[in-house]
Amino acid sequence: MNTIPYKHKMAAHCESGAVTSLLNNAGLDISEPLVFGISSGIFFAYFHKMKSFAFPTFIVRNKPGSIRNNLAKRLGIKFHAEKFNNPEEGMKRLDELLVKNIPVAVQVDFFYMDYLPEWERVHINVHFIVVVGKSGSKYIISDSYFPNLVELESASLRKARFAGGNMSPKGFFFYPEYIPKEIDYKKAILKGTKKACFYMLKIPIPFVGIKGIRMFARKIVEWPTFARDTEHLSHEIMKINILLEDQGTGGAGFRFMYATFLQQASVILGKPEWSELSKEMMEIGDGWREISLFAARIGKNRELGLDRLKELGNMLNGRADVEERFFRRLKNSI
Amino acid sequence: MKEKDGTIDCPQQQVILFVEKEDGKYEPIQTGSYLTKNFLDDYELKRRHLEESLKKQVLLGKVSPIYYFMILEDLTLSELSSRAGIRKGKVRKHLEAAHFNAIPQETLQLYADVFNITVPDMLKILVVTSADSTNTNTGS
Repeated sequence: MNTIPYKHKMAAHCESGAVTSLLNNAGLDISEPLVFGISSGIFFAYFHKMKSFAFPTFIVRNKPGSIRNNLAKRLGIKFHAEKFNNPEEGMKRLDELLVKNIPVAVQVDFFYMDYLPEWERVHINVHFIVVVGKSGSKYIISDSYFPNLVELESASLRKARFAGGNMSPKGFFFYPEYIPKEIDYKKAILKGTKKACFYMLKIPIPFVGIKGIRMFARKIVEWPTFARDTEHLSHEIMKINILLEDQGTGGAGFRFMYATFLQQASVILGKPEWSELSKEMMEIGDGWREISLFAARIGKNRELGLDRLKELGNMLNGRADVEERFFRRLKNSI
Repeated sequence: MKEKDGTIDCPQQQVILFVEKEDGKYEPIQTGSYLTKNFLDDYELKRRHLEESLKKQVLLGKVSPIYYFMILEDLTLSELSSRAGIRKGKVRKHLEAAHFNAIPQETLQLYADVFNITVPDMLKILVVTSADSTNTNTGS
């Protein structure tokens, strides 16, 4: 089997990257920040204690799958999606689509992407890659986190698509089936932004949005009680940097990508005030970046006493304050 | 973030970062990971210490090799149970050294698949090397 002609491009995030890449290859000219913004990707949630996480953690984007679903709903795009109980059937179906020259985005456990360095690979069931061909026992993969097309052994892809655990992929895949000729971007941008403001300001869940950032700021001083030892705590504190920067955010926990969305949206909507808001979001992102670098530094130096954690908490509270003001202004500008 | 501040030379791990270009436009650039460039050695040091500490616990008969890999791979008991398709109560037992020898080969294979290793690889950590004996004896 050959590789489908496919323009591979790195992207900030795996799901918005896979969706953007599939749409671009299907002929729709849309940027990753627009996909992210229209689908209300910007988010925050803090999880202090959960069965599936070995340590407190947080997320900076909406629920996996929401980017595709929200975008489809708001732009009138139709994605064909399937899930499988039987791995054989799931792999066979994928092969059938590749024979028909259809590139397919599949949900996988990131851990089995063995073309990535070992230190990057963790068990997380919500990574998205695009399969663009098969050569012998290997699949040809377009992964937003890798500079080129890569090969992945069939056995690894199968394990990754059918891994168990929290948010198990169950062989899930999707590809665009219908893209409308005329798209009303203005309406979609406003709707996506309104929903993002709701998530950040109003959603009545104490660990989500601005309330979630404040909970994180409050609870970070309790992190030592979860750690096996100082090195474990250092590792977890440094993971703040990974979650905000390296784990596919475009920098500063998606805030830089959201600033880019607002800049592009201000032109589409003809709203110069959104250009000002985009600058403000870029500055907010700079503050998140400072948090990332601070976390990496105190982790590396093992400066993990209460005073340092309180300092980190204060920095987080600072982000909560500026984001609350920002999202109120954004909401009022819609 | 200005483009010059976001440019990091780290070919081992490339990422996309959205930055402000000189003309004021925000655009993506392909750059390197700040963390990998500056702190990979620290990550590797901590990982080595964790491996040594867990191996020592295995060799002293405090925990089983399943526990060793579960902690290394940052999995919870609940996640491991769900991924391997083995009841939580059984997994809890399998984490103890005392029950490890009674685990059937097929069950070991289920765990090995989750850890992406072979069963012989899993058992390798039960082999004492001279370095291990030194570590165990000195308690370092």
